[in-house]
Amino acid sequence: MDRRTLLRALGGVSVGVSLAGCATQDNGTDDTDGLEDDGLEDETDDATNVSDPDGDELEGTLWVATYSSMLEDENPAGVWIEEAFEEAYPGIELEWTVPDGDVGHYIQRAQQGVEVETDVYLGLNVDDLVRIDDTLDEQLFVSLERDRIERIDRVREDPSVEFDDPHGRVVPYDTGYISLVYDETEVPEPTSFDDLTEPEFEDALLIQNAQYSDPGQAFLLWTIAEFGEDGYLEYWEALLENGVSDRDDWWSSYLAYLEEERPMVVSYSTDQVYAVADGHDLSRHQVGFLDGQGYANPEGVGIFTDSEKGDLAYAFIDFLLSRDAQAEIATRNVQFPAVADEYVDLDESFTDYAFEPDEPVALGYDDLSGNLDEWVDDWARLLATQ
Amino acid sequence: MADSSGPDAGTTSPATSVVRTLTGWTGRHALALAALATAAVLGVVAYLPIGLVFAEAFLEDGRLTLAAFHAVLTDPFYVGPLAGVFEEPLALGTHFSALFAWVRAGFPAVGMGLFGFTAYQAALSTLASLALGLPAAYVLATYEFRGRQTLRSLTILPFVLPGILVAAGFYAMFGQAGTLNTLLGTVGLGPYPFLSRYPLAVVVLAHAFYNAPLVARITVAAWESLDVSALETARSLGASRRRAFLDVVVPQLLPAVLTGALLTFVFTFMTFPIVLALGGLQLATVEVWVYDRVGRLAFAEAATLAILETVVSLSLTYAYLRYESAQASVARVGRPPSREALFPDWRLETLCAPRRLAVVGYGLLALVVFVGPLASLVLGSLTDGSGFTLAHYRFLAERQATGASYQTLPWPAVRNSLLFGLATLALAVPMGVVIAVLVARSRWGAVIDTLAMVPLAVSGIVFGIGLLQGLVFGVSLPGGTRLQFTGVAAIVAAHAVAAYPFVVRTVSPVLGGLDPAMVESARALGATRARALLDIELPLVASAVVAGAAFAFAISIGEFSSTVILASGGDTYTMPVALERYLGRRSGPALAMGTVLLVVTALSFVVIDRVGGRFEHR
Repeated sequence: MDRRTLLRALGGVSVGVSLAGCATQDNGTDDTDGLEDDGLEDETDDATNVSDPDGDELEGTLWVATYSSMLEDENPAGVWIEEAFEEAYPGIELEWTVPDGDVGHYIQRAQQGVEVETDVYLGLNVDDLVRIDDTLDEQLFVSLERDRIERIDRVREDPSVEFDDPHGRVVPYDTGYISLVYDETEVPEPTSFDDLTEPEFEDALLIQNAQYSDPGQAFLLWTIAEFGEDGYLEYWEALLENGVSDRDDWWSSYLAYLEEERPMVVSYSTDQVYAVADGHDLSRHQVGFLDGQGYANPEGVGIFTDSEKGDLAYAFIDFLLSRDAQAEIATRNVQFPAVADEYVDLDESFTDYAFEPDEPVALGYDDLSGNLDEWVDDWARLLATQ
Repeated sequence: MADSSGPDAGTTSPATSVVRTLTGWTGRHALALAALATAAVLGVVAYLPIGLVFAEAFLEDGRLTLAAFHAVLTDPFYVGPLAGVFEEPLALGTHFSALFAWVRAGFPAVGMGLFGFTAYQAALSTLASLALGLPAAYVLATYEFRGRQTLRSLTILPFVLPGILVAAGFYAMFGQAGTLNTLLGTVGLGPYPFLSRYPLAVVVLAHAFYNAPLVARITVAAWESLDVSALETARSLGASRRRAFLDVVVPQLLPAVLTGALLTFVFTFMTFPIVLALGGLQLATVEVWVYDRVGRLAFAEAATLAILETVVSLSLTYAYLRYESAQASVARVGRPPSREALFPDWRLETLCAPRRLAVVGYGLLALVVFVGPLASLVLGSLTDGSGFTLAHYRFLAERQATGASYQTLPWPAVRNSLLFGLATLALAVPMGVVIAVLVARSRWGAVIDTLAMVPLAVSGIVFGIGLLQGLVFGVSLPGGTRLQFTGVAAIVAAHAVAAYPFVVRTVSPVLGGLDPAMVESARALGATRARALLDIELPLVASAVVAGAAFAFAISIGEFSSTVILASGGDTYTMPVALERYLGRRSGPALAMGTVLLVVTALSFVVIDRVGGRFEHR
């Protein structure tokens, strides 16, 4: 696969986003604003806004599985989502569950023939869909009926939120970009993949293990997008030659970075949001995109096949795309919204420090399907036997 | 329990005599009943789950096969040059000529394969743990100084720390911007890239950070159970201090030292997150690939690798146990050795005695290796990019005060950890003692003992998957229902299964050293086996039992995966689980929770040792 076919596979969309990203209007949406404001402020929300009388008729308990930082972070999106959603739909009670092992937990349940009692999964990535289909014969998530999601047309049309799922099982609710974070007092700005193999970046780069870590896997897939599946290992040999060093997950690699073990680390393009909040010197928190690209890692939501709460689940997905929810999820998760700019208002304190690349890159479902495990294993063996 | 087994139970009502007969029966068979209960817990919470996963290695599409083993054993990536041998085991000529060519070429470096490297780093880690742990045991057992008992209690503190916390501690201590380099900077040295330049050494040191305390604690326990009269006899017969030590003390301590070494090797052979967190894939172990395969739901390959790991660990365990049981009871337990004051006076002459200088030198080293990372962690929980802050503790307080029901709150985590720890201790200590007694003089002792060590010798990742598939998903019964076992009881049982091998290993060498004549005379005088154990043997080995109890508690406190897997909803999370969940893009909240874990655990160890100490010196 060369880069052209890849980009074609991604829809060939070229998006020009300013470095300051997705700032659109600044009408000062307050964090604490309830959802009622949504309908008032949002002129494109017509009959579908949350004061829709249909909303009051929905009743029952909706079980939503997610990952723990959605609920446990310092300012967690999950807490806001639960309160605002239950306020918008007084008849629905949202119950969170955090499975150990994420989606793998449900794949194993299905493998063992044990019923899944959860309705919705919040936090699906493209590779989860590939893993499901490579493992199970049956469908774990339903093909979504798009016309049951009123706000579906608000979703951005660019590769940064694209799943390319042939079964249409997922709606994106936010996205992020893998980029480099570097110390400008120690290394020049890295601008291309070839830079990273140059002497000036010798023993400079920290990466994460692609076997376990999302950003680690994203960076590996980015090199595959760049060099193709026949060329990426050669590039990695050059990287190893130049002293690239890996840690098991983002956390360890970032610890090593903060303790100044290395001047450059694979991380998220929202790095400065945290750096500013924690009082770090920004010269050590410069964000570097390679060739103007960043690897997109959209997060999506899907409905379990076993769920009998379809109405509630669709209402929940639609809610996630609402104006307030998009702003709150983005700022609290420190990710980018999944909807187009005109459907969300982000605070400047966020957009000043969260950067989007000119050209988001990502491998879609078809690229990964049947290939992912082998790519990662070949890569891991190369690093383990260096 | 009243001793009613005597012949003169007296004249009482029929009802009382039934009760007496029953208690008498249980008294006589107490040991057998306890052994059965132990076997039942092990069966449900260890052998069934592990068996379920291991079975996957032999099955492909429902047929029995060894294909998975063939694939692993003939892959040079896993087994290095042995792959050729496994490929064609009978082509001896080829193998010998290859060996000959290698010898003639002057023993060039050979890729070790994943298994080879795993064993290599485990061996290095074991040596490092002995080198750091034995001096600590020596100091703690032979010198008296202020805070000795507290220090002894705290030795196993590193043992409970989650891997991520140890990694964080090592980065904070030894990183380029870490505490050590900051200190060196004040005298104009550094900064030195300790972590980047010597990754293998750093990982070995981190393993020693975990396991040297284990070696020290087990050895101290044996040392305090030594019989000092033999030493005095040797000295009175004119043996030099050194000779008496080598001939009398060392043989009595050797089983404990080797036990520590064995446990360290088994642990570090299956080391997992710490190697990747500090060193990366170039230091990958077999367990790294087990985890990867489990993550990809490739259970057959994961199980195959895990079985091979277990075979290595259990073979070593069996070899050691044969040795241990061959050690004749070397001594009667008599008076424990007395300790001399570390600093009897403060004269320069005393202070500069070579032995005391060595002790002080070791103390400084221990300060850097053990206290350094822990102190740096605490420091990290009190700082952010702009300096000192209490924000991370404020996070904990706010979460406690206003957290939603589905969020993880600090206090329930502390409470659960302590409750589970105590329950584990209460379950694991009897289990361990029973096994230790059973194997002490049984002909099949080494075999039973090896089987009893299975929970230690099985990959923790595979054990977790087994618990999920066996106990959480449950075993399906006819009629469509599923038999499941989750929640608090299951968590405690799983902790006890992981913990009791430590009780066995600390108690067994000392128990085996007791003179069997003592128990025989007690039995001859009418005591049941259980009573003889409680009244005669256990008090004599109390130091080892207390050490085992502390280990059981420590294992429970530090346990992570089964706690998460067996949680049946609700708030059954513990401190390490809370720490893991607070781990977001910022390290502060997790470090604050880690500090809470450190403080709570340290206090618990001191209490356990103080309470246990009462039994030690009756």
